[in-house]
Amino acid sequence: MSLDLALAGKTALVTGAARGLGFGIARALSEQGVAVAINDRTQEIAQQAALRLGKGAIAVGADLATEAGPMHCVDQALRVLGGIDFIVNNAAINIENPIDQTTDDLWDSHLNIILRAPHLIIARSLASLKQRKGAILNVASELGLHAIANNVAYVTAKHGLVSLTRAVAAEVASSGVRVNALCPGTMDTELMRECAAASGDPARYYAAFNAYHPVGRIATPDEVARFALVMLSPLSSFMTGTAIAFDGGSTAARVWGALP
Amino acid sequence: MTARRILVTGSTRGIGRAIAERFLKDGETVYLHGRSADAVDRVLSDLRAKFPQVQGVAGDLADRQRLRDLASAVGELDVLVNNAGYYVEETVEQVTAESWNSLMAVNVSAAWFLAKAFLLSLRQRRGTIVNIASDAAFVGIPGGASYCASKGALVGLTRALAMELIPDVRSLCICPGPVETDMMWNQVATAPDPAVMREQWMSFAPLNRVAKPEEIAALVAHAANPQASFATGAAWLIDGGQTAGKRLA
Repeated sequence: MSLDLALAGKTALVTGAARGLGFGIARALSEQGVAVAINDRTQEIAQQAALRLGKGAIAVGADLATEAGPMHCVDQALRVLGGIDFIVNNAAINIENPIDQTTDDLWDSHLNIILRAPHLIIARSLASLKQRKGAILNVASELGLHAIANNVAYVTAKHGLVSLTRAVAAEVASSGVRVNALCPGTMDTELMRECAAASGDPARYYAAFNAYHPVGRIATPDEVARFALVMLSPLSSFMTGTAIAFDGGSTAARVWGALP
Repeated sequence: MTARRILVTGSTRGIGRAIAERFLKDGETVYLHGRSADAVDRVLSDLRAKFPQVQGVAGDLADRQRLRDLASAVGELDVLVNNAGYYVEETVEQVTAESWNSLMAVNVSAAWFLAKAFLLSLRQRRGTIVNIASDAAFVGIPGGASYCASKGALVGLTRALAMELIPDVRSLCICPGPVETDMMWNQVATAPDPAVMREQWMSFAPLNRVAKPEEIAALVAHAANPQASFATGAAWLIDGGQTAGKRLA
Protein backbone atom coordinates (compact mmCIF):
# COMPACT_ATOMS: atom_id res chain seq x y z
CA MET A 1 0.00 0.00 0.00
CA SER A 2 1.38 3.39 -0.89
CA LEU A 3 0.00 6.44 0.80
CA ASP A 4 -0.74 9.48 -1.28
CA LEU A 5 -0.89 12.77 0.60
CA ALA A 6 -3.07 14.07 -2.26
CA LEU A 7 -2.03 17.66 -1.74
CA ALA A 8 -1.00 18.58 -5.31
CA GLY A 9 -2.81 21.59 -6.75
CA LYS A 10 -3.92 22.90 -3.36
CA THR A 11 -3.06 26.26 -1.83
CA ALA A 12 -1.78 27.10 1.64
CA LEU A 13 -1.02 30.05 3.87
CA VAL A 14 1.72 29.37 6.43
CA THR A 15 2.36 32.05 9.07
CA GLY A 16 5.77 32.69 10.60
CA ALA A 17 7.25 30.74 7.71
CA ALA A 18 10.54 32.56 7.09
CA ARG A 19 12.45 30.08 9.23
CA GLY A 20 12.18 27.20 11.68
CA LEU A 21 9.22 24.85 11.60
CA GLY A 22 7.15 27.31 9.53
CA PHE A 23 9.68 27.25 6.72
CA GLY A 24 9.94 23.47 7.04
CA ILE A 25 6.17 23.10 6.61
CA ALA A 26 6.11 25.57 3.71
CA ARG A 27 8.91 23.67 1.96
CA ALA A 28 7.30 20.28 2.56
CA LEU A 29 3.96 21.53 1.21
CA SER A 30 5.68 23.05 -1.78
CA GLU A 31 7.44 19.74 -2.54
CA GLN A 32 4.01 18.11 -2.66
CA GLY A 33 2.82 20.57 -5.30
CA VAL A 34 1.02 23.01 -3.03
CA ALA A 35 1.08 26.73 -3.92
CA VAL A 36 2.33 28.35 -0.74
CA ALA A 37 1.96 31.84 0.67
CA ILE A 38 4.72 32.55 3.14
CA ASN A 39 3.91 35.01 5.90
CA ASP A 40 6.40 36.64 8.21
CA ARG A 41 6.47 39.95 10.01
CA THR A 42 7.74 42.10 7.14
CA GLN A 43 7.39 41.83 3.37
CA GLU A 44 11.17 41.79 3.03
CA ILE A 45 11.68 38.85 5.41
CA ALA A 46 8.80 36.93 3.81
CA GLN A 47 10.12 37.69 0.32
CA GLN A 48 13.61 36.39 1.12
CA ALA A 49 12.13 33.13 2.41
CA ALA A 50 9.87 32.82 -0.66
CA LEU A 51 12.89 33.26 -2.94
CA ARG A 52 14.83 30.68 -0.94
CA LEU A 53 11.93 28.25 -1.31
CA GLY A 54 11.36 28.95 -5.02
CA LYS A 55 8.63 26.91 -6.77
CA GLY A 56 6.45 30.02 -7.12
CA ALA A 57 6.06 30.59 -3.40
CA ILE A 58 4.64 34.01 -2.70
CA ALA A 59 5.36 36.38 0.17
CA VAL A 60 2.67 37.97 2.36
CA GLY A 61 4.40 40.21 4.86
CA ALA A 62 2.21 41.17 7.81
CA ASP A 63 2.89 41.74 11.48
CA LEU A 64 0.54 39.34 13.25
CA ALA A 65 1.04 41.09 16.58
CA THR A 66 -1.15 43.92 15.29
CA GLU A 67 -4.95 43.96 15.03
CA ALA A 68 -4.95 44.54 11.27
CA GLY A 69 -2.03 42.21 10.41
CA PRO A 70 -3.98 38.93 10.33
CA MET A 71 -6.65 40.34 8.00
CA HIS A 72 -4.03 41.93 5.78
CA CYS A 73 -2.20 38.62 5.63
CA VAL A 74 -5.28 36.62 4.57
CA ASP A 75 -6.44 39.24 2.08
CA GLN A 76 -3.07 39.26 0.30
CA ALA A 77 -2.95 35.45 0.21
CA LEU A 78 -6.50 35.22 -1.16
CA ARG A 79 -5.75 37.78 -3.82
CA VAL A 80 -2.68 35.95 -5.11
CA LEU A 81 -3.72 32.33 -4.52
CA GLY A 82 -7.37 32.79 -5.57
CA GLY A 83 -8.56 30.75 -2.60
CA ILE A 84 -7.11 28.93 0.40
CA ASP A 85 -7.27 25.20 1.11
CA PHE A 86 -4.94 25.11 4.10
CA ILE A 87 -4.15 27.51 6.91
CA VAL A 88 -1.12 26.74 9.06
CA ASN A 89 -1.09 29.02 12.11
CA ASN A 90 2.54 28.63 13.03
CA ALA A 91 3.79 32.13 13.97
CA ALA A 92 4.84 32.50 17.59
CA ILE A 93 7.25 34.14 19.95
CA ASN A 94 8.76 32.53 23.02
CA ILE A 95 10.55 34.79 25.47
CA GLU A 96 11.13 33.04 28.77
CA ASN A 97 10.86 35.08 31.94
CA PRO A 98 9.82 34.64 35.56
CA ILE A 99 6.34 36.03 36.15
CA ASP A 100 7.56 39.15 37.97
CA GLN A 101 9.67 40.06 34.92
CA THR A 102 6.86 39.43 32.44
CA THR A 103 5.98 42.96 31.35
CA ASP A 104 2.60 44.05 29.99
CA ASP A 105 4.11 44.28 26.51
CA LEU A 106 5.66 40.84 26.67
CA TRP A 107 2.41 39.31 27.92
CA ASP A 108 0.30 41.04 25.27
CA SER A 109 2.70 40.10 22.44
CA HIS A 110 2.50 36.40 23.31
CA LEU A 111 -1.29 36.39 23.56
CA ASN A 112 -1.73 38.47 20.42
CA ILE A 113 0.65 36.53 18.17
CA ILE A 114 -0.02 33.01 19.46
CA LEU A 115 -3.75 33.24 20.15
CA ARG A 116 -5.48 36.31 18.69
CA ALA A 117 -3.82 36.13 15.28
CA PRO A 118 -4.91 32.51 14.57
CA HIS A 119 -8.51 33.34 15.51
CA LEU A 120 -8.58 36.43 13.29
CA ILE A 121 -6.88 34.56 10.43
CA ILE A 122 -9.40 31.73 10.65
CA ALA A 123 -12.28 34.24 10.79
CA ARG A 124 -11.04 36.00 7.67
CA SER A 125 -10.34 32.87 5.61
CA LEU A 126 -13.20 30.62 6.70
CA ALA A 127 -15.50 31.40 3.76
CA SER A 128 -12.82 30.25 1.32
CA LEU A 129 -11.94 27.20 3.44
CA LYS A 130 -15.62 26.18 3.57
CA GLN A 131 -15.96 26.52 -0.18
CA ARG A 132 -12.93 24.28 -0.73
CA LYS A 133 -13.49 21.95 2.26
CA GLY A 134 -10.07 22.86 3.53
CA ALA A 135 -8.16 22.22 6.71
CA ILE A 136 -6.62 24.31 9.47
CA LEU A 137 -3.55 23.31 11.43
CA ASN A 138 -2.77 25.28 14.58
CA VAL A 139 0.81 24.74 15.66
CA ALA A 140 0.55 24.70 19.44
CA SER A 141 3.24 23.06 21.56
CA GLU A 142 3.64 20.41 24.20
CA LEU A 143 3.34 23.52 26.40
CA GLY A 144 -0.27 23.73 25.26
CA LEU A 145 -0.79 20.46 27.14
CA HIS A 146 1.35 20.91 30.24
CA ALA A 147 3.49 23.63 31.81
CA ILE A 148 7.04 24.49 32.75
CA ALA A 149 8.22 27.29 35.06
CA ASN A 150 9.32 30.75 33.89
CA ASN A 151 7.34 30.81 30.66
CA VAL A 152 3.91 31.92 31.83
CA ALA A 153 2.82 33.94 28.78
CA TYR A 154 3.78 31.24 26.28
CA VAL A 155 2.17 28.41 28.28
CA THR A 156 -1.03 30.41 28.75
CA ALA A 157 -1.31 31.33 25.06
CA LYS A 158 -0.55 27.80 23.78
CA HIS A 159 -3.14 26.27 26.12
CA GLY A 160 -5.64 28.79 24.75
CA LEU A 161 -4.77 27.75 21.20
CA VAL A 162 -5.55 24.10 22.00
CA SER A 163 -8.98 25.07 23.38
CA LEU A 164 -9.61 27.40 20.44
CA THR A 165 -8.88 24.47 18.11
CA ARG A 166 -11.56 22.30 19.73
CA ALA A 167 -14.19 25.06 19.68
CA VAL A 168 -13.62 26.12 16.07
CA ALA A 169 -13.58 22.46 15.00
CA ALA A 170 -16.92 21.90 16.74
CA GLU A 171 -18.43 24.95 15.09
CA VAL A 172 -17.32 24.26 11.52
CA ALA A 173 -17.36 20.43 11.53
CA SER A 174 -20.54 20.15 9.46
CA SER A 175 -19.11 22.41 6.75
CA GLY A 176 -16.33 19.92 5.98
CA VAL A 177 -13.49 22.08 7.30
CA ARG A 178 -11.17 20.23 9.69
CA VAL A 179 -9.30 22.00 12.49
CA ASN A 180 -6.51 20.38 14.48
CA ALA A 181 -3.64 21.32 16.74
CA LEU A 182 -0.13 19.93 16.51
CA CYS A 183 1.83 20.00 19.77
CA PRO A 184 5.52 19.52 19.08
CA GLY A 185 8.21 19.12 21.69
CA THR A 186 11.50 20.98 21.44
CA MET A 187 12.92 21.28 17.92
CA ASP A 188 16.40 22.08 16.65
CA THR A 189 15.47 25.38 15.02
CA GLU A 190 17.24 28.73 14.66
CA LEU A 191 15.32 29.85 17.76
CA MET A 192 16.67 26.88 19.74
CA ARG A 193 20.21 27.71 18.65
CA GLU A 194 19.72 31.34 19.64
CA CYS A 195 18.40 30.34 23.07
CA ALA A 196 21.29 27.91 23.52
CA ALA A 197 23.81 30.61 22.64
CA ALA A 198 22.10 33.09 24.99
CA SER A 199 22.31 30.58 27.84
CA GLY A 200 26.12 30.89 27.85
CA ASP A 201 26.61 27.10 27.76
CA PRO A 202 25.06 25.78 24.52
CA ALA A 203 26.22 22.19 25.04
CA ARG A 204 24.64 21.98 28.47
CA TYR A 205 21.48 23.65 27.14
CA TYR A 206 21.11 21.05 24.38
CA ALA A 207 21.91 18.18 26.76
CA ALA A 208 19.18 19.30 29.14
CA PHE A 209 16.56 19.47 26.40
CA ASN A 210 17.65 16.13 24.95
CA ALA A 211 17.22 14.54 28.40
CA TYR A 212 13.89 16.30 28.92
CA HIS A 213 12.38 14.20 26.13
CA PRO A 214 12.13 10.49 27.02
CA VAL A 215 13.44 9.51 23.58
CA GLY A 216 16.68 11.27 24.55
CA ARG A 217 16.81 13.86 21.78
CA ILE A 218 14.99 16.86 20.38
CA ALA A 219 13.14 16.84 17.07
CA THR A 220 14.22 18.11 13.69
CA PRO A 221 11.84 20.65 12.14
CA ASP A 222 11.57 18.42 9.07
CA GLU A 223 10.19 15.43 10.94
CA VAL A 224 7.56 17.65 12.56
CA ALA A 225 6.79 19.24 9.17
CA ARG A 226 6.19 15.83 7.60
CA PHE A 227 3.65 15.00 10.29
CA ALA A 228 2.00 18.39 9.81
CA LEU A 229 1.41 17.40 6.18
CA VAL A 230 -0.25 14.16 7.25
CA MET A 231 -2.58 16.14 9.54
CA LEU A 232 -3.52 18.50 6.69
CA SER A 233 -3.92 15.80 4.07
CA PRO A 234 -7.03 13.69 3.34
CA LEU A 235 -5.21 10.84 5.12
CA SER A 236 -6.56 12.55 8.25
CA SER A 237 -10.05 13.05 6.84
CA PHE A 238 -11.91 11.89 10.00
CA MET A 239 -9.66 13.79 12.38
CA THR A 240 -10.85 17.14 13.68
CA GLY A 241 -10.78 19.08 16.94
CA THR A 242 -7.83 17.19 18.32
CA ALA A 243 -4.48 18.21 19.80
CA ILE A 244 -1.73 15.74 18.98
CA ALA A 245 1.49 15.62 20.95
CA PHE A 246 4.52 15.03 18.73
CA ASP A 247 6.98 15.34 21.53
CA GLY A 248 9.23 12.29 21.99
CA GLY A 249 7.10 11.14 24.91
CA SER A 250 7.43 14.37 26.84
CA THR A 251 3.80 14.81 27.91
CA ALA A 252 3.41 11.08 28.52
CA ALA A 253 6.20 10.77 31.04
CA ARG A 254 7.30 12.44 34.22
CA VAL A 255 10.17 14.86 34.00
CA TRP A 256 12.94 14.01 36.46
CA GLY A 257 15.64 16.45 35.50
CA ALA A 258 15.45 20.24 35.58
CA LEU A 259 15.68 22.41 32.50
CA PRO A 260 18.56 24.90 32.37
CA MET B 1 -6.48 31.33 63.72
CA THR B 2 -6.43 34.81 62.23
CA ALA B 3 -8.74 35.55 59.36
CA ARG B 4 -7.24 35.21 55.88
CA ARG B 5 -7.35 38.11 53.45
CA ILE B 6 -9.17 37.09 50.27
CA LEU B 7 -10.02 38.94 47.05
CA VAL B 8 -12.76 37.53 44.83
CA THR B 9 -13.05 39.31 41.48
CA GLY B 10 -16.49 39.66 39.92
CA SER B 11 -18.25 38.91 43.20
CA THR B 12 -21.33 41.12 43.19
CA ARG B 13 -23.42 38.25 41.80
CA GLY B 14 -23.40 34.69 40.54
CA ILE B 15 -20.60 32.28 41.38
CA GLY B 16 -18.34 35.07 42.61
CA ARG B 17 -20.84 36.26 45.19
CA ALA B 18 -21.40 32.71 46.41
CA ILE B 19 -17.63 32.30 46.81
CA ALA B 20 -17.38 35.59 48.72
CA GLU B 21 -20.26 34.69 51.04
CA ARG B 22 -18.83 31.25 51.66
CA PHE B 23 -15.48 32.71 52.80
CA LEU B 24 -17.28 35.34 54.88
CA LYS B 25 -19.26 32.62 56.65
CA ASP B 26 -15.94 30.92 57.40
CA GLY B 27 -14.84 34.14 59.12
CA GLU B 28 -12.35 35.30 56.49
CA THR B 29 -11.75 38.92 55.49
CA VAL B 30 -13.15 39.18 51.99
CA TYR B 31 -12.72 41.92 49.40
CA LEU B 32 -15.70 41.95 47.09
CA HIS B 33 -15.09 43.26 43.62
CA GLY B 34 -17.33 44.46 40.81
CA ARG B 35 -16.92 46.66 37.78
CA SER B 36 -19.32 49.28 39.11
CA ALA B 37 -18.86 50.94 42.49
CA ASP B 38 -22.65 51.15 42.88
CA ALA B 39 -23.03 47.40 42.55
CA VAL B 40 -20.24 46.81 45.06
CA ASP B 41 -21.83 49.27 47.51
CA ARG B 42 -25.22 47.57 47.17
CA VAL B 43 -23.78 44.14 47.97
CA LEU B 44 -21.67 45.57 50.80
CA SER B 45 -24.75 47.04 52.43
CA ASP B 46 -26.57 43.70 52.02
CA LEU B 47 -23.76 41.84 53.72
CA ARG B 48 -22.29 44.25 56.25
CA ALA B 49 -24.80 43.60 59.07
CA LYS B 50 -24.06 39.89 59.03
CA PHE B 51 -20.37 40.10 58.09
CA PRO B 52 -18.85 43.33 59.43
CA GLN B 53 -15.40 42.32 58.13
CA VAL B 54 -16.46 42.56 54.46
CA GLN B 55 -14.60 45.06 52.24
CA GLY B 56 -15.12 46.20 48.66
CA VAL B 57 -13.20 47.44 45.63
CA ALA B 58 -14.51 48.42 42.21
CA GLY B 59 -13.09 48.82 38.73
CA ASP B 60 -12.91 47.53 35.18
CA LEU B 61 -10.44 44.62 35.07
CA ALA B 62 -9.62 45.40 31.43
CA ASP B 63 -8.01 48.66 32.60
CA ARG B 64 -4.43 47.98 33.71
CA GLN B 65 -4.13 51.23 35.67
CA ARG B 66 -7.33 50.33 37.52
CA LEU B 67 -5.85 46.91 38.26
CA ARG B 68 -2.74 48.55 39.72
CA ASP B 69 -4.85 50.86 41.90
CA LEU B 70 -7.06 48.00 42.97
CA ALA B 71 -4.07 45.88 44.02
CA SER B 72 -2.58 48.65 46.12
CA ALA B 73 -5.96 49.39 47.72
CA VAL B 74 -6.32 45.74 48.77
CA GLY B 75 -2.73 45.35 49.97
CA GLU B 76 -1.70 41.88 51.10
CA LEU B 77 -3.52 38.67 50.23
CA ASP B 78 -3.65 35.06 51.39
CA VAL B 79 -6.04 33.94 48.67
CA LEU B 80 -6.65 35.41 45.23
CA VAL B 81 -9.77 34.15 43.47
CA ASN B 82 -9.80 35.15 39.80
CA ASN B 83 -13.49 34.65 39.14
CA ALA B 84 -14.52 37.58 36.91
CA GLY B 85 -15.33 36.51 33.39
CA TYR B 86 -18.01 36.59 30.77
CA TYR B 87 -19.30 34.66 27.78
CA VAL B 88 -19.60 36.03 24.27
CA GLU B 89 -21.87 34.32 21.76
CA GLU B 90 -20.39 34.94 18.32
CA THR B 91 -19.53 32.70 15.41
CA VAL B 92 -15.91 32.38 14.32
CA GLU B 93 -16.64 34.67 11.39
CA GLN B 94 -18.16 37.32 13.67
CA VAL B 95 -15.15 37.69 15.95
CA THR B 96 -13.41 41.07 15.85
CA ALA B 97 -10.16 42.30 17.39
CA GLU B 98 -12.26 44.52 19.69
CA SER B 99 -14.54 41.79 21.05
CA TRP B 100 -11.56 39.45 21.42
CA ASN B 101 -9.43 42.05 23.24
CA SER B 102 -12.17 42.85 25.78
CA LEU B 103 -12.89 39.20 26.53
CA MET B 104 -9.24 38.18 26.89
CA ALA B 105 -8.44 41.22 29.04
CA VAL B 106 -11.05 40.24 31.64
CA ASN B 107 -11.07 36.44 31.38
CA VAL B 108 -7.29 35.87 31.16
CA SER B 109 -4.98 38.87 31.37
CA ALA B 110 -6.50 40.27 34.57
CA ALA B 111 -5.87 36.93 36.30
CA TRP B 112 -2.20 37.05 35.29
CA PHE B 113 -1.88 40.70 36.24
CA LEU B 114 -3.38 40.22 39.70
CA ALA B 115 -1.31 37.10 40.37
CA LYS B 116 1.77 39.17 39.56
CA ALA B 117 0.58 42.17 41.56
CA PHE B 118 -0.04 40.12 44.72
CA LEU B 119 2.93 37.79 44.23
CA LEU B 120 5.06 39.05 47.09
CA SER B 121 2.42 38.72 49.82
CA LEU B 122 1.07 35.46 48.37
CA ARG B 123 4.60 34.06 48.60
CA GLN B 124 5.21 35.38 52.11
CA ARG B 125 1.87 34.10 53.37
CA ARG B 126 2.10 30.75 51.57
CA GLY B 127 -1.07 31.69 49.78
CA THR B 128 -3.31 30.18 47.12
CA ILE B 129 -4.46 31.36 43.71
CA VAL B 130 -7.78 29.91 42.55
CA ASN B 131 -8.81 30.60 38.97
CA ILE B 132 -12.40 29.99 37.93
CA ALA B 133 -12.27 28.56 34.42
CA SER B 134 -14.95 26.34 32.86
CA ASP B 135 -15.44 22.92 31.35
CA ALA B 136 -15.29 24.95 28.11
CA ALA B 137 -11.51 24.76 28.50
CA PHE B 138 -11.82 21.06 27.62
CA VAL B 139 -14.84 20.84 25.30
CA GLY B 140 -15.50 23.12 22.34
CA ILE B 141 -18.67 25.20 22.25
CA PRO B 142 -19.90 26.13 18.75
CA GLY B 143 -20.44 29.88 18.84
CA GLY B 144 -18.18 30.23 21.86
CA ALA B 145 -14.68 29.85 20.42
CA SER B 146 -13.31 33.01 22.02
CA TYR B 147 -14.70 32.00 25.40
CA CYS B 148 -13.29 28.47 25.09
CA ALA B 149 -9.88 29.87 24.15
CA SER B 150 -9.95 32.21 27.15
CA LYS B 151 -10.82 29.41 29.57
CA GLY B 152 -8.21 27.07 28.09
CA ALA B 153 -5.67 29.85 28.50
CA LEU B 154 -6.71 30.22 32.13
CA VAL B 155 -6.01 26.53 32.73
CA GLY B 156 -2.57 27.07 31.16
CA LEU B 157 -1.98 30.07 33.41
CA THR B 158 -2.93 27.97 36.44
CA ARG B 159 -0.43 25.27 35.53
CA ALA B 160 2.35 27.73 34.68
CA LEU B 161 1.88 29.55 38.00
CA ALA B 162 1.88 26.25 39.87
CA MET B 163 5.15 25.13 38.28
CA GLU B 164 6.82 28.46 38.91
CA LEU B 165 5.57 29.26 42.41
CA ILE B 166 6.11 25.83 43.99
CA PRO B 167 6.42 25.49 46.97
CA ASP B 168 5.41 28.98 48.14
CA VAL B 169 2.08 29.44 46.41
CA ARG B 170 -0.44 26.87 45.27
CA SER B 171 -2.34 27.54 42.07
CA LEU B 172 -5.57 25.71 41.25
CA CYS B 173 -8.29 25.96 38.69
CA ILE B 174 -11.98 25.18 39.20
CA CYS B 175 -13.86 24.27 36.03
CA PRO B 176 -17.63 24.43 36.48
CA GLY B 177 -20.17 23.16 33.99
CA PRO B 178 -23.56 24.89 33.74
CA VAL B 179 -24.39 26.93 36.86
CA GLU B 180 -27.61 28.69 37.81
CA THR B 181 -26.62 32.37 37.77
CA ASP B 182 -27.98 35.71 36.53
CA MET B 183 -25.88 35.05 33.42
CA MET B 184 -27.86 31.87 32.78
CA TRP B 185 -31.28 33.42 33.48
CA ASN B 186 -30.48 36.41 31.25
CA GLN B 187 -29.64 34.05 28.42
CA VAL B 188 -32.86 32.10 29.00
CA ALA B 189 -34.98 35.27 29.17
CA THR B 190 -33.53 36.76 25.98
CA ALA B 191 -33.75 33.55 23.92
CA PRO B 192 -36.34 33.37 21.10
CA ASP B 193 -38.02 30.56 23.05
CA PRO B 194 -37.11 30.82 26.76
CA ALA B 195 -38.68 27.45 27.64
CA VAL B 196 -36.56 25.65 25.06
CA MET B 197 -33.43 27.49 26.20
CA ARG B 198 -34.15 26.60 29.84
CA GLU B 199 -34.59 22.95 28.89
CA GLN B 200 -31.31 23.09 26.97
CA TRP B 201 -29.48 24.43 30.01
CA MET B 202 -30.93 21.69 32.21
CA SER B 203 -29.88 18.97 29.78
CA PHE B 204 -26.29 20.13 29.08
CA ALA B 205 -24.90 17.90 31.82
CA PRO B 206 -25.68 14.18 32.19
CA LEU B 207 -26.95 14.98 35.71
CA ASN B 208 -29.83 16.85 34.02
CA ARG B 209 -29.60 19.91 36.19
CA VAL B 210 -27.49 23.00 36.65
CA ALA B 211 -25.26 23.54 39.67
CA LYS B 212 -26.07 25.98 42.44
CA PRO B 213 -23.37 28.65 42.81
CA GLU B 214 -22.92 27.44 46.42
CA GLU B 215 -21.75 24.03 45.14
CA ILE B 216 -18.95 25.72 43.17
CA ALA B 217 -18.11 27.93 46.17
CA ALA B 218 -17.68 24.86 48.38
CA LEU B 219 -15.03 23.45 46.03
CA VAL B 220 -13.26 26.81 45.87
CA ALA B 221 -13.20 26.91 49.68
CA HIS B 222 -11.66 23.44 49.74
CA ALA B 223 -9.04 24.43 47.14
CA ALA B 224 -7.97 27.32 49.37
CA ASN B 225 -8.03 25.18 52.53
CA PRO B 226 -4.80 23.77 54.05
CA GLN B 227 -6.47 20.33 53.80
CA ALA B 228 -5.85 20.64 50.04
CA SER B 229 -2.18 21.51 50.51
CA PHE B 230 -0.97 18.67 48.25
CA ALA B 231 -3.04 19.99 45.34
CA THR B 232 -1.46 22.45 42.94
CA GLY B 233 -1.56 23.02 39.20
CA ALA B 234 -4.72 20.94 38.88
CA ALA B 235 -7.89 21.79 36.99
CA TRP B 236 -10.79 20.46 39.04
CA LEU B 237 -13.90 19.81 37.00
CA ILE B 238 -17.31 20.19 38.64
CA ASP B 239 -19.56 19.73 35.66
CA GLY B 240 -22.33 17.23 36.30
CA GLY B 241 -20.53 14.66 34.17
CA GLN B 242 -20.36 16.86 31.11
CA THR B 243 -16.74 16.11 30.17
CA ALA B 244 -16.86 12.45 31.26
CA GLY B 245 -18.73 11.28 28.21
CA LYS B 246 -21.65 11.77 25.87
CA ARG B 247 -25.08 10.33 25.35
CA LEU B 248 -26.55 9.54 21.95
CA ALA B 249 -29.12 12.07 20.80
